[in-house]
Amino acid sequence: MGNYLIKLRDVEVRYNNRNGGLVAITGINLTVSPGEVVGIVGRSGCGKTTLLKVIAGLVKPTRGEVIYNGSQDGGGFRGIGMLFQSPLLLPWRTVLRNILLPIELRGEDLDKYVGRALELMERMGLKGFEDSYPWELSGGMQQRVALCRALIHRPSLLLLDEPFGSLDAITREEMWVLLQGAISYENYTTILVTHDIREAVLLSDRVIVMGGRPGRIKAEIPIPFRRPRSLELQYSREFNDYIAEIRGLLGD
Amino acid sequence: MPYRVRSASSVLALLVVCTVWELAVRLLNVPRYILPAPSAIALTIVKYRDHLLLNLFDTLLTSTLGLALAAVFSLALSTVLAYSSSIREAIYPLLSGFNAIPRAALVPLLALWFGLGMVPRVLTAFLIAFFPILVPTLTAMVTIEKELWEMLVAFGATKAQILTKVAIPRATPYFLSSLHMGLTSAIVGSVIAEMVASDRGIGYVILSSTSRLDTPLAFSCLLLLALTTFAISKTLGLIERRVVRWAYRAGL
Ligand SMILES: Nc1ncnc2c1ncn2[C@@H]1O[C@H](COP(=O)(O)OP(=O)(O)OP(=O)(O)O)[C@@H](O)[C@H]1O
Ligand SMILES: [Mg+2]
Repeated sequence: MGNYLIKLRDVEVRYNNRNGGLVAITGINLTVSPGEVVGIVGRSGCGKTTLLKVIAGLVKPTRGEVIYNGSQDGGGFRGIGMLFQSPLLLPWRTVLRNILLPIELRGEDLDKYVGRALELMERMGLKGFEDSYPWELSGGMQQRVALCRALIHRPSLLLLDEPFGSLDAITREEMWVLLQGAISYENYTTILVTHDIREAVLLSDRVIVMGGRPGRIKAEIPIPFRRPRSLELQYSREFNDYIAEIRGLLGD
Repeated sequence: MPYRVRSASSVLALLVVCTVWELAVRLLNVPRYILPAPSAIALTIVKYRDHLLLNLFDTLLTSTLGLALAAVFSLALSTVLAYSSSIREAIYPLLSGFNAIPRAALVPLLALWFGLGMVPRVLTAFLIAFFPILVPTLTAMVTIEKELWEMLVAFGATKAQILTKVAIPRATPYFLSSLHMGLTSAIVGSVIAEMVASDRGIGYVILSSTSRLDTPLAFSCLLLLALTTFAISKTLGLIERRVVRWAYRAGL
């Protein structure tokens, strides 16, 4: 495995709270290759968000290490794009200015990215809403704006934490198509945390199944279907075999 | 209720109150120096209008100067305190301690130090007004949602950027609405200082007129003060709605 973007070696995270320490995740070994889409499923509280935060550098591992390839050798690690369950848009900014926020924070020239922002918006079906305010949009539209914001700076790594958890089933399927389109179009390395096994299998090259207390990796299931995949794949026999296998691993 | 109906009904209510008041004073033969009738107050305002306006102007000048000082100072201080939690932990208890001192009791000291001019009046207004502005502004700045904070950090934001791009805009509606409270506090401050250590201003006029049992003049002062405070507050409200339209997105 010479070619990797990010590698976690024996990572443990212990949170210190009032009643002593709590080991959220332990013994995590994970290597993510460039351009790979990795799905992470696991039951509530098993440390998925914690794992994502360690990868994002928001939480320091209490043991082990996280290695970013490209950050040391100056190979142009273009940062992280993040998307959470709630869109977290700034209500005082227009949609366009929300999307450009990461560029602003990086101190780059905004004008250079307006064209890209408009193009992303068009691909996400948001054309014409650049001067609207987030609160004038529906929940699904807000989440698409947040996705544009996560992609605007062409991040080296896209981290998604239950990004579509609050959307209805139909809107969620629409978002799968849009997300998959964006990922394949610019070949994003992606880590997708989700409660939805279907979502994980449909979008990922590999699904990591986590078990809880403390959180650890139970299994890694490669999903060999060629990307991009159509929504109809969900109804195929093979697809549902994967669903059943992962459902079995998650236990009762 | 539509705006017109609402304002018409409050005018009606005011007329009823004034009529009842007028009749009660006349029928019960209440002496002028105990409770003047509304008509007597109106006549007094007309009669002493120059004297009253001059002193009203004086009070408004010192209280708005005090309010402006308090606004600038609160905004600057809350920015510093939001930036550094260690400074906040060191200074905030001192500020709350200071807030526990009845500021009216400081007026004689201020007069001792700064004489009978405008300075002690402006300072009293400032000292009473600044805490009610500081508290909501600071609270809004330091209560950014954890997820939003983490997303910004993942996007590479520095603390200073989070402060200028998120904390300050987020606090703006709280800051602006606290100015209403600040305004009434500042006027209280000015009036108290005028009563204790001054030979001008509405506070002084109230004090000297009541000592001469010229109650209608005292009531005129109160009425004018209430009307102007109300007008300034309304103006502030209009500015507020313009500047932070996004904060009233729910349309309440
Ligand atoms: N900041 C924190 N301080 C202390 N404990 C924490 C903190 N964040 C998470 N935990 C604990 O760590 C464990 C894992 O939490 P985490 O949020 O990573 O789970 P999760 O798999 O994302 O859950 P969910 O699917 O419900 O989002 C939980 O037991 C949680 O209580
Ligand atoms: Mg989580």
